[in-house]
Amino acid sequence: MSAVLTVLMLLVGAYLVAVLEGWVSTGRLRPAGPITSGLALLGRESVVPRQPDRIFFEVAPPLLLVAALLAAAVLPLSPGLVVVDLATGALFVNAALAYVMVALVMAGWGPDGTYAMVGGFRFLGQLIAYSMLIVMPITAVAMRAESLFTTEVVESQAVLPNAVYQPVGFVIFFLAAMGVAFLPPLDLPTAPGELAGGVMAEYTGWRLAVMRLARAVLVVTLAAAISVFYLGGWLGPVLPPWAWSALKTLLVAAAMLLAGRYVPRLRETHVLEWGWKIGIPLALFNIFYVGVLLLVVE
Amino acid sequence: MSALQQYALLFGMVVATVGLALSLGVISRSLGRVRQEKAKDVPATSGKLSPDPVWGRYHVRYYGYALLFLAFDMEMAYMYPWAVVYKELGLVALLDMGVFLMVLFLGLLYGWSQGALRRQ
Repeated sequence: MSAVLTVLMLLVGAYLVAVLEGWVSTGRLRPAGPITSGLALLGRESVVPRQPDRIFFEVAPPLLLVAALLAAAVLPLSPGLVVVDLATGALFVNAALAYVMVALVMAGWGPDGTYAMVGGFRFLGQLIAYSMLIVMPITAVAMRAESLFTTEVVESQAVLPNAVYQPVGFVIFFLAAMGVAFLPPLDLPTAPGELAGGVMAEYTGWRLAVMRLARAVLVVTLAAAISVFYLGGWLGPVLPPWAWSALKTLLVAAAMLLAGRYVPRLRETHVLEWGWKIGIPLALFNIFYVGVLLLVVE
Repeated sequence: MSALQQYALLFGMVVATVGLALSLGVISRSLGRVRQEKAKDVPATSGKLSPDPVWGRYHVRYYGYALLFLAFDMEMAYMYPWAVVYKELGLVALLDMGVFLMVLFLGLLYGWSQGALRRQ
């Protein structure tokens, strides 16, 4: 039951994100856009390139969707509304998100096209930059909650959301989440205008439709993760819990999409350099800071 | 739900997702097939096939980072169980992990000083 509800909420979220992304990038608000372009993609030819690694080529789009869905499955919408409340929830999110990289590298390698290959390997570099910045802030969150249950992580923020309690971790995690979802300033693997679509360059027709759906779901999943880990998930006055979760998730997704409008695309070199020279020392400091705070204050 | 049921549910979601992708493929195929036309299947490289294997076109210049990444990624496996029991153990936990992280951080600084953190 909760699985069906969660998937429905994810699809609605993906639709809204697609509308929003179109609005942000073209300046026109087209509420029917995602539906018409999705149907149009189904009606188009889906060409397979000349010398594909057929397994990689076919597996990549569904795998991206699976990774986003599995990560969303452990994130609670309200106390009862979570697909599976795993004892290893916070770790499971990382494990599922690791497959985003696998899917994109497969999508890059599979079609045997230059642009796709460059996009795939670039994303591998991007993973090396963002991965630690996803994992380390979540550790600090788990330290405060004394648990890896995502529901307990939310409950630990009843007094003060983690975004205020550990602001450094929040900022790092937010930026790293944009890296996972390859959203504009960090959209190195697709890089419109430079790589001809990158990892998505060789996908057409229904395969592209699956890939685009997966990307939209991934954005929603990461926004939900930020809301659960840092903004107190379903907690909030007046409105019912699920409404708070949905509202926070959508606002975070909108913020993630808007940020890219004002920042130019970063170079891979810079992403790696800043990730390791600034990001990781800050993330380690964040763990230490939270550790001291937990001992001194509570 | 028991742990087994939970993982069964997750597996069910994976199967359902793959089923969704396959059914989209079947629908698309029922609407029409790919017409065989000359050079339609050439990848996006301005209409010319690349003379060399395409993987030769990208140099993985971030291998210095990649090696450091391995060390840090392994370390994180220890961090999660530590984070859960942190409050219980208190200061001892902070000092234990502090020493461990300090060693790693010094490793990062050493790598930095030796030029691992740049485009090779």
